[in-house]
Amino acid sequence: MTITYAYEALPVAEWFRRNREIAGFQNSARAMYQTVRELVENSLDATEPYGILPNILISIKPVDESKSWYSIYVEDNGIGIPGGEIPNVFGRVFYSSKYKIKQHRGVFGLGLKMVVLYAQSTTNKPIAVRSATIRSDKIYEYKIMIDTTKNEPIIIDRREYNNKYRWHGTAVKVIIEGNWLNSKKRIEDYLRRTAIISPYAEIFFKGPDMELILKRRTTKMPHPPEEGLPHPKSVDVDTVKQMILENPKSTLMEFLMNNFDGIGEGLAKSFLEWAGLDPNKVVGGLTQEEVTYLAEKLKAYEGWRRPRADWLSPAGAELLEVGARSILGAEAVFAVTRKPSSYSGHPFIVEAAIAWGGQIPPVDKPILLRYANKIPLLYDEGADVARKVVDEFNWQNYKVKLPAPLAVLIHVCSTKVPYASAGKEAIAEISEIEEEMRLALRDAARKLRIYLSRKEREMELLNKYISLAKYVDEISLSLNIITGIDKDKLSSNLNKLIEQKLGVTIDDLVKHVASLPAEGQNVGQ
Amino acid sequence: MSANKSRAELLAELEDWAKGLSNDILKLKEPILEIPSRTLSNTIWDEKNKILKLGSEKIHRKFLDVKEARRFMQTMLMLRLIVEAMRADVFPTIRDLYYNGKHTINFNFLGRKYRENTWDEQSESNAVIEDIEVATNILREEMGVSADVKGKIVGPIIVRSQGYELDASKFGETALSLPVNVDALEIVKVEANYVLVVEKDAIFQRLVREKFWSQEGAILITAKGMPDRATRRFVRRLNEEHKLPVYVLTDGDPYGWYIYSVYKSGSIKLSYESERLATPNAKFLGLTATDIDSYKISDNYVIAANDRDVKRAQELLRYPWFQKPEWTREINLFLKKKKKVEIEALSTHGLKFLHDYLRDKIRGSKFID
Repeated sequence: MTITYAYEALPVAEWFRRNREIAGFQNSARAMYQTVRELVENSLDATEPYGILPNILISIKPVDESKSWYSIYVEDNGIGIPGGEIPNVFGRVFYSSKYKIKQHRGVFGLGLKMVVLYAQSTTNKPIAVRSATIRSDKIYEYKIMIDTTKNEPIIIDRREYNNKYRWHGTAVKVIIEGNWLNSKKRIEDYLRRTAIISPYAEIFFKGPDMELILKRRTTKMPHPPEEGLPHPKSVDVDTVKQMILENPKSTLMEFLMNNFDGIGEGLAKSFLEWAGLDPNKVVGGLTQEEVTYLAEKLKAYEGWRRPRADWLSPAGAELLEVGARSILGAEAVFAVTRKPSSYSGHPFIVEAAIAWGGQIPPVDKPILLRYANKIPLLYDEGADVARKVVDEFNWQNYKVKLPAPLAVLIHVCSTKVPYASAGKEAIAEISEIEEEMRLALRDAARKLRIYLSRKEREMELLNKYISLAKYVDEISLSLNIITGIDKDKLSSNLNKLIEQKLGVTIDDLVKHVASLPAEGQNVGQ
Repeated sequence: MSANKSRAELLAELEDWAKGLSNDILKLKEPILEIPSRTLSNTIWDEKNKILKLGSEKIHRKFLDVKEARRFMQTMLMLRLIVEAMRADVFPTIRDLYYNGKHTINFNFLGRKYRENTWDEQSESNAVIEDIEVATNILREEMGVSADVKGKIVGPIIVRSQGYELDASKFGETALSLPVNVDALEIVKVEANYVLVVEKDAIFQRLVREKFWSQEGAILITAKGMPDRATRRFVRRLNEEHKLPVYVLTDGDPYGWYIYSVYKSGSIKLSYESERLATPNAKFLGLTATDIDSYKISDNYVIAANDRDVKRAQELLRYPWFQKPEWTREINLFLKKKKKVEIEALSTHGLKFLHDYLRDKIRGSKFID
């Protein structure tokens, strides 16, 4: 959610020092992972919502090994940033005037600035940005640093090029102090998991000692989220203040109708009457206490409409199935997208996918892949309510006997994802969300159970087929030697008889069985 | 029985069976082998002729039945081996056929390899030979297939084999081995009073060494345990063609008694052969359960019956051909005392006591019919 707060008063240097840990830059390994993540998520946000199939190129190179300096380069084919905006986007913290809501990957839209500040504080090198918007004649290239006392961009270098090939997108290069060895696995995991939930993205990654090519598995993309107004229950005092600042001359009546979702004249009237507020009062004239009172009443009122889920963009069962099948090498994937629900005025949708077999090793505890707003969550799994839901799940009811080759993917998308901690790596135990997770898992597990039963039957059929077909040659040869009748004719007819008996053709059987694993799986009875 | 048919005719019958099955396959009709079942329930006790016969119950061995497919394949394989042997005019033993047919079937499906032997044990290949015999009503002897013959004889009898005359009284401490096809053996001269069939080879050898046969004018025969078909056939010939009384001596336990009944009436497994192999006139000398008391066999030679012996005895009681008063009395006595004795137990009264025992039984007609 990109609601801006009145943080401007705080010097940026101080703000960075305070928030470094929260934002995931506490050590060089984590910072390296976080940098890749912020840049990749910006790239996805610059492509996917605009209907562009993402092509993302990531490259990490050592710059000075004695100092552990690395350059991180990320390039996308997104909508690009207008030339004049580039310095502010990269060089001014809290540069944004929007307080509209929609589902975003980026957390507070601040990640990018954290990257710039981290680079600056470790290597004192500027960020290099090259960008062109769609159909732009020019490509702009900047080298930017942030003046941490004035919160202003310092333009070190600026160039323009003719955009002969109508390239569009953004390429960013930063030089940071990092730790490749300790972040390598996380970065790889992160990219793989990103590819699972965004199988329409093509991701090329080149690290100092490795290459990872995650090809596009589908050209189908989820519907982009719509941008909408917040639900009255979901806003806090600070947000209300910010909104008033933007519309000081509105009356309370107008303020409610223009700035919140689902409030018409009638509903605004009933609320103001219930709250005992004057509909014609100009909001700019409200006292501090009155604003606080208004914010409290907005939360407490029970007459609001349910929050809308239009601002949400779930991946969809189909994409989850494609992604999990290809990246995890699963034999089968069963995914569900639940209907929208809400907690405290925030709409959310839970999606779950169960991946079975294939390259997934049998495990005692199902492997869990967690996502929030399509971002893979890699840390703090134990604190995540999804882990609890998965562990408490009664797998026996679904023909699964642990250990089993099982991986579970749970995705929560919301205009406000409730994180369990400041690290934003685990989802908190919100009962509404927990219940939806449970139901999503149940729905997916039901599909798995149907699949496993079918497979059991197919295995039986296969075994039956083999126990007959393996003798065909021997019998045909014997009868051929005794009678002189053509052996191939006998063989082909015996095979036809088997097909008739089993009620399935060998071709069909081959098709069904092709997806089965080489060895019998640990399928419960 | 397909008596007096030429080998070529028999071969044609076997080929016709395979043609019928092949034609079914060509017509996309499931090939089914109709085989008279060789089980106790399909074994009929022919009261009048005193032999076991095969009943009319048939099993239908279907290729498309997962439980039967392997046996179906084995039957076709064996039929082919037999046909090939008959065409080449060779005379394999059942062991030859076992080895000729034993190989690994490799079946590959979807990259998976399945390996299976056509048969593992000789009992498997033997069983399909018997299936083919009953299904086609052609005995394996007629197909030119023989078994390993265990039988040997000693005594005042001269036979001719491949032109050579063999005098079974001139083998010293050894014995004349019966050939595979005893019907090809010409009995030139017999001067015996009776035939004594001995279950155990060790006892047979003792009686030869001690010249019991020459003192008695008896032909001694053993098949070393459960008799093979050739031995049974020869005993039958001696009784049928030369009217020699046949006496059987076995251990005093249910297994020995069953061996006697196989000589006399036929076996459950090969009931279809009884008409050729059984000797309904054979008499049982011993040992009986009663002998333990009547011959005062010392406790040192008596063995406690185990559960298997008891179970086997109960089975014998249910066989119709054991349901005569003498046998039910003996078996019940056995079940009551739970004691068994081997032939060797007669040494309780000295090594030569076996001779006295046999003479006493034969002279006194103390046998069971």
